[in-house]
Amino acid sequence: MGKVQLQISRRTFLKSALAGSAGLAVAGGHAIPAVAAPEGSAEPPWFYRGQIKTTYSVCDMCPWRCGITVQSVGDRVYKIDGNPADPKSRGMLCARGQGGVSFMYDPDRLRSPMLRTGERGEGKFQEVTWPEALDAMAEKLLAIKEQYGPESVAVFGHTSGEFWFADYFAQAWGTPNAAKPSSSLCTSPREEASNLTLGFPVGGHEPVDWEGLRCLTLIGSHIGEDSRNTVMQDFAKAWGRGAKVIVVDPRFSSVAAKADYWLPIKPGTDTALLLAWINVLIAEKRYDADYIAEWADGFDKLAAHVADLTPEWAAAITELDPELIRTTARVMADSLPQSLIMPGRHVTWYGNDTQRMRAAYTVNALLGAYGREGGFYFNKSPYIEAYPHPPFAVAGSAGGCSAEPGAESAELPVGPSGKARADGARTKFLRGATAMQELIEPMITGEPYPIKALIVYGTNLLNTVPDVPRTIEALKNLDLVVAIDVLPMEHVAWADIVLPEATVLERYDELWTVAHKTPYIALREPAVEPYADTKPAWWMARELGMRVGLENYFKWETAEEYINTRLQTIGSSIEKMREEKGIIVQKGKPYFADFKGSSPFLTKTGKIELYSDELALAGQDPIPVYTPTEDPPDGFFRLLYGRHPVHTFAKTQNTPLLHELYPENELWINAGIVAAQGMKDGDRVWLENQDGARSGPVKLKATERIRPDAVFMAHGFGRNEPALTLANGKGANDAQLQTRYILDPISGGAGMRVNFVRIVKEA
Amino acid sequence: MATNAFLLDISRCIGCQACTAACKTGNELPAGTQFIQLIEQTRGTFPNLEGGFQNHRCYHCTDAACVSVCPTGALFKEGGMTRLNRDVCSGCQYCTDACPFDVPQMVDGRCSKCDACADVVAAGGTPWCVRTCPSDALRFGDRQEILAEAQSRVAAIKERYPKARVYGETEAGGLGVIMVLPDDPEVLDLPANPQVPLLVNTWQKVVQPATMGLTGLSILVTGVAAVIARRNHMQELKLLHKEEAKADESK
Repeated sequence: MGKVQLQISRRTFLKSALAGSAGLAVAGGHAIPAVAAPEGSAEPPWFYRGQIKTTYSVCDMCPWRCGITVQSVGDRVYKIDGNPADPKSRGMLCARGQGGVSFMYDPDRLRSPMLRTGERGEGKFQEVTWPEALDAMAEKLLAIKEQYGPESVAVFGHTSGEFWFADYFAQAWGTPNAAKPSSSLCTSPREEASNLTLGFPVGGHEPVDWEGLRCLTLIGSHIGEDSRNTVMQDFAKAWGRGAKVIVVDPRFSSVAAKADYWLPIKPGTDTALLLAWINVLIAEKRYDADYIAEWADGFDKLAAHVADLTPEWAAAITELDPELIRTTARVMADSLPQSLIMPGRHVTWYGNDTQRMRAAYTVNALLGAYGREGGFYFNKSPYIEAYPHPPFAVAGSAGGCSAEPGAESAELPVGPSGKARADGARTKFLRGATAMQELIEPMITGEPYPIKALIVYGTNLLNTVPDVPRTIEALKNLDLVVAIDVLPMEHVAWADIVLPEATVLERYDELWTVAHKTPYIALREPAVEPYADTKPAWWMARELGMRVGLENYFKWETAEEYINTRLQTIGSSIEKMREEKGIIVQKGKPYFADFKGSSPFLTKTGKIELYSDELALAGQDPIPVYTPTEDPPDGFFRLLYGRHPVHTFAKTQNTPLLHELYPENELWINAGIVAAQGMKDGDRVWLENQDGARSGPVKLKATERIRPDAVFMAHGFGRNEPALTLANGKGANDAQLQTRYILDPISGGAGMRVNFVRIVKEA
Repeated sequence: MATNAFLLDISRCIGCQACTAACKTGNELPAGTQFIQLIEQTRGTFPNLEGGFQNHRCYHCTDAACVSVCPTGALFKEGGMTRLNRDVCSGCQYCTDACPFDVPQMVDGRCSKCDACADVVAAGGTPWCVRTCPSDALRFGDRQEILAEAQSRVAAIKERYPKARVYGETEAGGLGVIMVLPDDPEVLDLPANPQVPLLVNTWQKVVQPATMGLTGLSILVTGVAAVIARRNHMQELKLLHKEEAKADESK
């Protein structure tokens, strides 16, 4: 009896003790356990070990950035959950997000600022203090600025603190050569196609109005494998409601297995399929004629353009059944306007990608999807003022998939010495955010002007930019290389100065503002103190700014002061945001009715431009045309790459939890080919590309799930850095096999699916 | 205590493994231990394919073979779930032999398997896997309500999957994980009629009554159990050797 009473009283005590702290009440139907530990167990579970503290933040384990609640006891974080108040996570989280704790506690983390002692690439460093590292960096940057101008400093940034270096510092310093891989190595074609067609970009969160959606078409989008939490949730609901799903993919992906129609297309021929779909929609008068009449420009030219581009024409190119092409066009049309092709995310495939995306948006326009319930909503950015600062030395943002709509300037940003971007914008390609891969060449050749210093925030340079040997040459050539990172990624060994960063769970960060159906702002607060001698990016950027004469841009002393100043402009504060569970949601303008008669399309014509004058003037095809891409030579396969659901880019392969779930990538290869070549599932082979670059060994995954002309692997493996003790040497590295790319002449995107590999059986 | 159950909608699962990771972090599972494993399944030949993910996890059988054979009471039934108190596990491994789904693992010499997040549920929460599942493939609650949800989901997917059915309503006395299957269980690597091994029946029907007084018989059956358990191990060993030999051959 005594024992029972004890248990009840302990339970009551814990419940009342825990109820006082934020976020521990039942949230979204999910209660945090607050009961007594079972008697006699050796060590109680983490949630019995003391007062649970809940911190609101935004996940950084992928670029989707779900709102999270971070549960810690004492100075240790135990669990991350989705924040139920967050419009993206809605209380749920993917495997990678769950891995955030393991990422923070990775024993391989960088611990201290370091200066290089050996040759570049040797990875020999000595640990120094922060003032020593920052003084050295400032001195060198100022000397380079003196001799070559501020434009000769390039800044690359990726992951959530990128704002402080690739946006804020770069603009204050005065370099237009700030770039994010999320643009020209990922989304640029879909953003520029959207700008050209609709007058606004797609934005970070694809504005699919899932609730009423009745037919979803995916082209090379891998819901479930790319693990975007919200999209998985929305897809599951739509699928459960019986929405039709059409998947176009050379590979039978996880989502293809859920599809009503799978089109195993020949890689590189998607534009032909899209044009044939347009042909069917128009020829059979299955498009939304009223919508097109009111909101589209150039329909007659489009109709004439596609008149002969029949399913039979496309069938010969795509290796698809013409009847399947015809049927799927009809299925799409049956559900219009609650029917659409989802903009992909990584769309830099073949170098003609903006045209492909324009063809997809043309289908969406014919389906009447934009601005309609169950189609695409018009997203809107949340209202909040920037931190007050003097005008920037260079206007314009580096862009990137997280750039807010309208943030990319139509004018090319120009630095203080009058130099525009060195990436060949307006000469090698038409428009769009800075093309990271095009900034490598000026580091080697000095053309159009020399780039002498490179600051790399995150980014994973040697696993991200195609043509690794060229990047290495550039790294050897620079006067200054600075790496800011959490882990000793491969390029860190090439840095002169290494600045170790605190993870998201250990730092304040810029407010996360999301263009959305319901625009919202999310708070990012630290749950625990930074590990060892690591620091947040905002602190590093400020300390550097103070040393290079930019103190007027860094008037704030703490991140709290910066954030509170911004929040004040909308009558909020950090404290108020905590009470609101870390999220402020504002009202959007999702549909036509919200524009009260004015056009939501910000093109010159105020309409959806099916025919683009801008492209015609620039000598590009004003209506998408199918241009063939080179086929693999005999004995070679096209190298396709993508995601595994528990990994993000090249960031998470060393994270103990996620490494355990998927430690090495496999080469998906058609089972018939494997048998015919006398190999078998699980064999380890090397891969050699068309230029003789090798990677491996990698395990064969003999599967029926892929066409015989292509192979596929998850990106980010085959690491070549012993300091990444778990990931090093496991699997094959797709980046090393991408020795070439084709530049998209419109968006500056680097088409990377133009590399071919052959299987080398001997080790 | 109410009888609870999980819903596991195999037709809905998209294989993201959020459940596995949430389970590992929420339960602080040691490296190498997973209570939920997702295994890719592919049927057919290119391009006529079907596929999905098998969710290998404890199905919380009502007639739980592991509970029947557990000599220490470490494994027990409570509220429809098959609970585990590792503190009293003796490491005899009878459960690993008895389970028709091959679920319990031995970790540090003791049984290790899903405990249905009993502590979390006791506080009115949801098991970690259910809480995080983005695909709404997992739910947890009153068994009757879960069963009704499973039936309505099956009805909803019949057009896509004519062979769709509920699994676990009656199998093994009714499972604590009620599944929505898009196809026949055999096709999805599940036993059509999960059989509790003969040994377990003997244990349940003979040994347990025997403990009321027939100690001698108990010892006898324990002996039989040991012999059978040994035989099972020998068969496994043989199988293993066979596979090794095969692997050697192909080298």
